[in-house]
Amino acid sequence: MRAVHYLNQFFAALGGEDKAETPPTRLDGAVGPGRGLAAALEGVEIVTTLACGDDYFAEHEDEALAALLVHLGEIEPDVLVAGPAFGSGRYGYACARVAASAAERGIPAVAAMHEDNPGVAAAGAAFVVPTAVNVAGMRDALPRLGALASALASGRELGSAEEEGYLVRGFRRNYVAEKTGAERAVELLLAKLGGETRTEAAGDLDRVEPPPRVADLSSALVALVTEAGCVPQGNPDRLPAVRAQGWFRYDLDGAQTLASGRYESVHGGFDVTLANEDPNRLVPLDTVRGLERDGRVGRVHESLYTTTGNGTPVVVATKFGQEIAGELRDAGVQAVLLSGT
Amino acid sequence: MAWELAAFPADLLREPGPIDGVEVEIVQPGSPVRVTHVLDAVEPRIRPDGRSAFPVEGPAGEGRTNRLDGVVVLSCLDFPGEERPLHEQESIVDLAGPGAGLTPFAGMAAVVLTFSPQEAGHVAIDAEARRTTLAVAEDLARSTLGAEPAEIERFELGPADAGLPAVAALIQLSDLGPLYIQYVYGEPAGEAGLPRAFHPAAVLDGAVTCGEYHWAGMRNPTFFFQQNTLIRELYRKHGKSLRFAGTVLMRGYEQSADDKRRAAERAAAAAGELGADGVVITTDAGGNSHTDVMLTCRACERAGIRTTVVLAEETDSDSTKPILTDWVPEADSIVSTGNVEELVEAWVPERVLGGDLLLDGSPAASAGPIPVRNYLGAANQMGQLALSARTE
Repeated sequence: MRAVHYLNQFFAALGGEDKAETPPTRLDGAVGPGRGLAAALEGVEIVTTLACGDDYFAEHEDEALAALLVHLGEIEPDVLVAGPAFGSGRYGYACARVAASAAERGIPAVAAMHEDNPGVAAAGAAFVVPTAVNVAGMRDALPRLGALASALASGRELGSAEEEGYLVRGFRRNYVAEKTGAERAVELLLAKLGGETRTEAAGDLDRVEPPPRVADLSSALVALVTEAGCVPQGNPDRLPAVRAQGWFRYDLDGAQTLASGRYESVHGGFDVTLANEDPNRLVPLDTVRGLERDGRVGRVHESLYTTTGNGTPVVVATKFGQEIAGELRDAGVQAVLLSGT
Repeated sequence: MAWELAAFPADLLREPGPIDGVEVEIVQPGSPVRVTHVLDAVEPRIRPDGRSAFPVEGPAGEGRTNRLDGVVVLSCLDFPGEERPLHEQESIVDLAGPGAGLTPFAGMAAVVLTFSPQEAGHVAIDAEARRTTLAVAEDLARSTLGAEPAEIERFELGPADAGLPAVAALIQLSDLGPLYIQYVYGEPAGEAGLPRAFHPAAVLDGAVTCGEYHWAGMRNPTFFFQQNTLIRELYRKHGKSLRFAGTVLMRGYEQSADDKRRAAERAAAAAGELGADGVVITTDAGGNSHTDVMLTCRACERAGIRTTVVLAEETDSDSTKPILTDWVPEADSIVSTGNVEELVEAWVPERVLGGDLLLDGSPAASAGPIPVRNYLGAANQMGQLALSARTE
């Protein structure tokens, strides 16, 4: 198995503060503390060291991350290891961001730094192994960092933070409370009535900035997109009723209406009986064709995009949206009628 | 108006007589058994005065009702293939193993009814299964008549210090059409004139029954109304730290945007008429019922009634913040009943009742990890249980 090790300019022996402007640099094999780390790895070889100056990273984070990710994409390591950064704030932040970005792309990643290093909060889904506050803790840190990196590279399921020696990452986890939800609810309400508002789950919503309005709908290409589980009769591609893993594109072939018996909904989140008597009520092709004939919309895009929006994780739904929007943009679509259920 | 609930020991449990088309088996507490396709869970109850323990005519919540303590009736049904509605979801009760920590029923004697319906349409099949299950629950409690109760609880709201805050329970009941329906005195929630104030003891006394088979983890089975922790807690605290102002039942899955806004305003108005300073709002099932709850929360807060909302999370495994189906900024006090997406460790039961294959076709006896959402009532949003989620 193969590891990539991230270091700053100092630990990569490129130089001190005078070299802190060094852009991302690719070095073969293990360098500096990477040699000690290599000895602590089991069945994992450090094939590449990626180094970047702390100032460069702080001042050009997007460019630095982009360049580092290009290298990671080429190397395809089994694990990314960053640091240890100990108490160094700039270095710790860079380690955390590089590790978080790798983890977002599915590369198991671990950084090492002191638990009070501001980088800890920026590590996202990456693991952070705690270290001493300064470099005197190197000897203590490397075996623990090596053990976790080896475990990540092997793909085995990790135990708790305590068992594996990483800092808690702030993920939501179930637990059994001391009191029932009802008892806790009455307590929270009485506290709120007494002027102290608390919550067990802070709400939040993504805010999507609406694009500028379509200047002239009568010349616009308009697409129909739905999460109503609307598919050709018989569901040829087996779109699931719940927790869809993808979306489908179906040619309308000039159809003027979504005829009952030719289209159906396989959505599992509502009673589809009425919808299947007239699928236009899920995806209003009949009405939009009328607007097209009247010249009120320019043209109907001849592909219907569909999925089932039911129990879909936010991250999956976001991916569907980005993929569909990308195709629509490439096809020159200017407006979308998105019907939800 | 007082109501007494008399508890009788489980050793009065007798084997029920044979029922056509239903396999009956009694399972001892903690047995290494997985029960699948569970529709509902019901506590055996009977009224010594001869009126129905699950009345369709009302009123419930007065006089006396007997209950068989430590016993649950579990109804299991896999809707026949052609009639299988798309929205029916797997529903599991594990009486031992890791899943046992997610249910109060593992600690009880379970009377498992497995229905083998003839082809008759899922609406008719469901109606017959619900009728039979409630009848069996009532019949099982017959042995309490003439026996000595172990305990009698009395539910009555005496005078309370007017300086205490007045608190009401706003309980949501799903009605999204066939197989998604909770019943009030035998009527679908959508046809029961909700939202309206409702005698809290009537909720505990069989007036509300379950026919809602969406996500099992977010389901409120009949048992959870009969033994409703929230209403019991409000009775218990009445005159001590609060005044129990009453209960409002409201519908989940109001169908149009206007219906949703109107129902939210009416629920808030009903709470206002009860004189509530604050309300606990509970949730039933998932999806757009969460929008009804959020709109109700907003309507109450705008009417000057403070709220705490009870709901489950649907959080991705690598998310550092809870993911809620809907949210309004007024919902600043939320009780989390857990993340339904989290997986429960795999377990190999010695026996499976209810049906050997899960709805996805995999064998129930050797299934891999199963998400909380498939465990009956595990993350129910009435706060019946202690499951919650936190950031670790």
